[in-house]
Amino acid sequence: MSKLELSGVSKTYGATVALRRGDLSVEAGEVHVLVGSNGSGKSTLCKIVAGSVKPDGGRVAIDGEPVAIGGPKASKAKGIGIFYQELSLAAHRTVEENICLADMPVTAGLFVDRKALSKRAEKYIALFETVSGDDFAAETVVGNLRADQRQLVEIMKTLATEAPILIFDEPTSALDRAQAERFFEILGDLKAEGRSIIFISHRMDEIFAVGDRVTVMRDGETVGTRILAETEPTAVIQLMVGSKDDLAEAAVNPPDAAERSGTPVLEVSGFSGPGFRDISFSVAAGEILGFGGLHGQGQSAVLRSLFGAEPYGGGRISLEGTPVHYSNPRDAILLGMAYVSGDRGRDGIVNGRPIFENVVPVHFLRNGLKIVQPKVLKKRVDPALDALRTKYASLWQAINSLSGGNQQKVVIARWLVDQPTVLLLDDPTKGVDLSAKSDLFALIRELAREGMGIVLYSSEDAELLNNADRILVFNQGRVTRELTGADRTRFNLYHAAYEAAS
Amino acid sequence: MTAVAATRPPGRLKRVFERYPFLPAFCIFIVLLALNGVFSPASLSARGLTGLLSTYLALMLLAIGQTFVVYASDIDFSNGAILSLVNVVIIVFMEQMGGSGLSVTAALAVGIGVGLACGLVNGIVVAALRLQAVVATFATSIFFTGLALYVLPVAGTPAPRLFWRTYGGRFFEVPFVVFAALGIALIVYLLVRTRLVTRLLAVGDDAQAAYQSGLPVTLIRIGGYALSGVFAALAAFCVTGDTASGDPLVGAKMTLFGVAAVVLGGTALSGGFGTVVGSALGAFIIGLINALVYFVGTPSQWQNLVQGLVILIALMLGIMVSRRARA
Amino acid sequence: MSATETTPVKTSSVLAVLRQPLLIAIVLIGVLLAFGEALSPGFASGEQILRLLVVASLLGLVAAGQNLVILAGREGIDLSVGGIVSLSAIVAGNVMSGQDASIPLAILACVATGALFGFLNGVGVTVMRIPPLVMTLGMLGVLQGLLVVIRQGIPSGKAAPALADFVAKPFLFGLPGTIWLWVAVGLFMAFLLRRTVFGQRVYAIGSNEHAAFMAGVPVKRMRVAVFTFSGIFAAIAGLCLLGYSGSSFSNVGEQYMVPSIIAVVFGGTPLAGGKGGYTGTMAGAVLLTILQSILTTVNIDESGRQMIYGATLLVLMLFYGRGRRMRG
Repeated sequence: MSKLELSGVSKTYGATVALRRGDLSVEAGEVHVLVGSNGSGKSTLCKIVAGSVKPDGGRVAIDGEPVAIGGPKASKAKGIGIFYQELSLAAHRTVEENICLADMPVTAGLFVDRKALSKRAEKYIALFETVSGDDFAAETVVGNLRADQRQLVEIMKTLATEAPILIFDEPTSALDRAQAERFFEILGDLKAEGRSIIFISHRMDEIFAVGDRVTVMRDGETVGTRILAETEPTAVIQLMVGSKDDLAEAAVNPPDAAERSGTPVLEVSGFSGPGFRDISFSVAAGEILGFGGLHGQGQSAVLRSLFGAEPYGGGRISLEGTPVHYSNPRDAILLGMAYVSGDRGRDGIVNGRPIFENVVPVHFLRNGLKIVQPKVLKKRVDPALDALRTKYASLWQAINSLSGGNQQKVVIARWLVDQPTVLLLDDPTKGVDLSAKSDLFALIRELAREGMGIVLYSSEDAELLNNADRILVFNQGRVTRELTGADRTRFNLYHAAYEAAS
Repeated sequence: MTAVAATRPPGRLKRVFERYPFLPAFCIFIVLLALNGVFSPASLSARGLTGLLSTYLALMLLAIGQTFVVYASDIDFSNGAILSLVNVVIIVFMEQMGGSGLSVTAALAVGIGVGLACGLVNGIVVAALRLQAVVATFATSIFFTGLALYVLPVAGTPAPRLFWRTYGGRFFEVPFVVFAALGIALIVYLLVRTRLVTRLLAVGDDAQAAYQSGLPVTLIRIGGYALSGVFAALAAFCVTGDTASGDPLVGAKMTLFGVAAVVLGGTALSGGFGTVVGSALGAFIIGLINALVYFVGTPSQWQNLVQGLVILIALMLGIMVSRRARA
Repeated sequence: MSATETTPVKTSSVLAVLRQPLLIAIVLIGVLLAFGEALSPGFASGEQILRLLVVASLLGLVAAGQNLVILAGREGIDLSVGGIVSLSAIVAGNVMSGQDASIPLAILACVATGALFGFLNGVGVTVMRIPPLVMTLGMLGVLQGLLVVIRQGIPSGKAAPALADFVAKPFLFGLPGTIWLWVAVGLFMAFLLRRTVFGQRVYAIGSNEHAAFMAGVPVKRMRVAVFTFSGIFAAIAGLCLLGYSGSSFSNVGEQYMVPSIIAVVFGGTPLAGGKGGYTGTMAGAVLLTILQSILTTVNIDESGRQMIYGATLLVLMLFYGRGRRMRG
């Protein structure tokens, strides 16, 4: 009898099917991995178990008993603890308050028992003592922590539920190697205690290192479960993608370095700002320059500052040989810069507004338009969307009715109506499905061929190696290595990323 | 303040402000107090300060109640109307019961009950029925005002002698309002240590996250409004003691001043962050500004304008200083 | 992604259609008119409806600016509109002091007054980054103080006859000028919001300010502009109010603060901004005016009137965009 059993669970938002048929069976003392591309329904499935999403249909059973989960509180009472991908922390509360938030110890039924609270939180803080950093303390306000530390707090908070069933929805995305390894050790201990663990990750190495079984989801459906010891990564990816062609298209796109035309379109020297120092590089027309290295070493910060979104301390920027100065994205855009963020919810989409309104703002700005003429503009918007093979029913449908990948395509399309000189890509494929990724990189190569200068930062090494002509490796806010030509190997990239850190 | 920042390691000032968000308010408060002393030394005498306290205790209570609502990122634009309602209810109640000590005590209990009920109505309307807090509490405030007008159509019924005598009186040579203020301080001291207040702040930080963590978000928000209602009732007692009569519209003008006091105290209207002490200071800042404008000899028709301007400037200063300090 | 995911939401069911805010408001207007007619025959007569529309147009004008401020998001709200209405009415009344010839100058002075205070609100909100609620609340205090000063210093102004005629007497096709003015403002707002870059930018900053900033929208300038618009619309309302009541007295505008916000909400623009429009707000203004008018028609005392008014507002709000459920 399974500890947790889901069968035929479904969820629809308006016309969007988030989960068509979710099946999952988890045993006690098992680490069960859940994989699937973004938008395949993993998170929805987990949130249904955790009570924060109300299912439309299907059955949930714990220890063989069918249960109805009325909300997060009820789910907790039934022995389920969850790590939310987007985190569920209160930014102005301390680490220890967050860890015990759901069930704070009280005296006289009214007052927070600070001593008991500290004591309980301490137990979970101690678990990560060696990897949480010097500036991490029980009394630190969560809003002052780094992203990886916040993720650790969410892990501690999940562990503090002491629930027999634990769900971890991408718990390692911001963690460094040591932190992730410590987490996996703890996961091993939990497993030994007989707890059931659902673990979501996109990293194949992690999946095979810690998982017992894997369940694969695709387009809102469970497509199969495998025992990890008896299968291999390609088989799992095959299951995720469905057909072999998609996979080939996504991963293989060898850059042809010979195509660089030589005239620099963007030159940066001595560029310093929050999170980076003394950065110098140049991008030639037709070149794709990659930014590599471990996550959060200043790559995004450089791109954001280059786009004028954040202030920079010093340095010179030249566009097509002309020194330029600007302090906001508006001026940067007028000079021919374009920027695509991986955090499309924050930086990209104008939520709730039509696709049309999401594409046109840059065109308005660059052409100094005052009046909106939808019929005229449509002729310019359609080709931009088509270039990315964006799937949509009407220009006047709200952007949030699209899948994540298509939303990102709309955001990119806004830069294609009028060709920019320089395109800055800041981890543009974060949360984008495989087929959208391949569409995107095909287009990027095409844009480079037309003479655009492109800077690409990606948190996925494979994307960089497959698409960048040249890679600058970042470490603690500085460029520590440049990889060109045949040097662009996975080994060199790893080596350069870790060398100064060790 | 810059000197402090320069001599200590960076982030220190930030931490101080995180811990004591009311610091800018406290500085403004001290400066205003000093200015009052300069222009009217008598205003800093025990008698002067007692007068200020007895007049602005009500606003302080209103602001304190509002703080709990604002903690959860909600707002209560009806607490002035609740104050009016409680004011007329207890006045009429005491009048009908004869104004004895027992009737006064009973009236206070009834008043608290009315305040609590109004707060619960607000909470249910905003948190359970999910109406937008700003307009929903505007609507309830109209309703509460209607109720107040029903209880006492025109201002004027006097409070029993016992009531205002007590409020304005002295015990062991110490004015009653000082005891009242101390009592309130004790209540607030205890309140901020409750689980409810910590949970209100967590809800204000991110309601969805709080819900997903398993907190009963709706109940918590209702709890915030209930506190606001009860504090509006306490404020009504002070107004009744101060004015010694009933007025169905007495609180109408106080609501917005209460919100201003909360903001002056360094509490963020976006929720999740702030202090009750700050709101109390904010209320007194408004009182001190009003007093100062009078003491410096502003011609009477200019007083409102100068008060308005100074409050606006104080609001701006407070927000800008605390933002800079926390950055 | 699969085809089902890209199909726009179909609003086929009757219920979905009924959830359109504009339609709700229109249905409610019909219901209230019928109710008023039942209570007091003649309530829904043509003449009476015209009178109601004149009153509604004053509220509608104030709500136009309020609408822009709210649409532009970031807790946009303008609590100072009432003060601006009062002040601009006094300014206009004193400049024209009963003379038709002075009307153009009076309009100029009055609109400039509104624009100035709206602009100051906008600067406070953007440059000094004061939350709109706080900024406009503080400004309301300043305006009220200013009104006291003015009331003592100068006589209350008088409306020019031509202005009074324009506001209340039939002007064109039997309809008073204010109604035409309101229709013009309605058309202007529809054009502004749907067919201009400005309008699209209002929605963009209201939906996702940061994304708009990253796409080159001049967020601060936009926000200053919407507050300035709010001041201007409030001033125009003040001018009409002067014509309507003949002379300006100090607190005439106060009655517009809360209703202007509620009219916007009843029109289907949530206080969070980013969606909605002015057509709904116009219906919202009419709805509120009829409701108030019914309450003054029926023979009950002030307390009952207020209770019914407050309770009705709450019930009506239940029809509109309520907050999201926590559980998805």
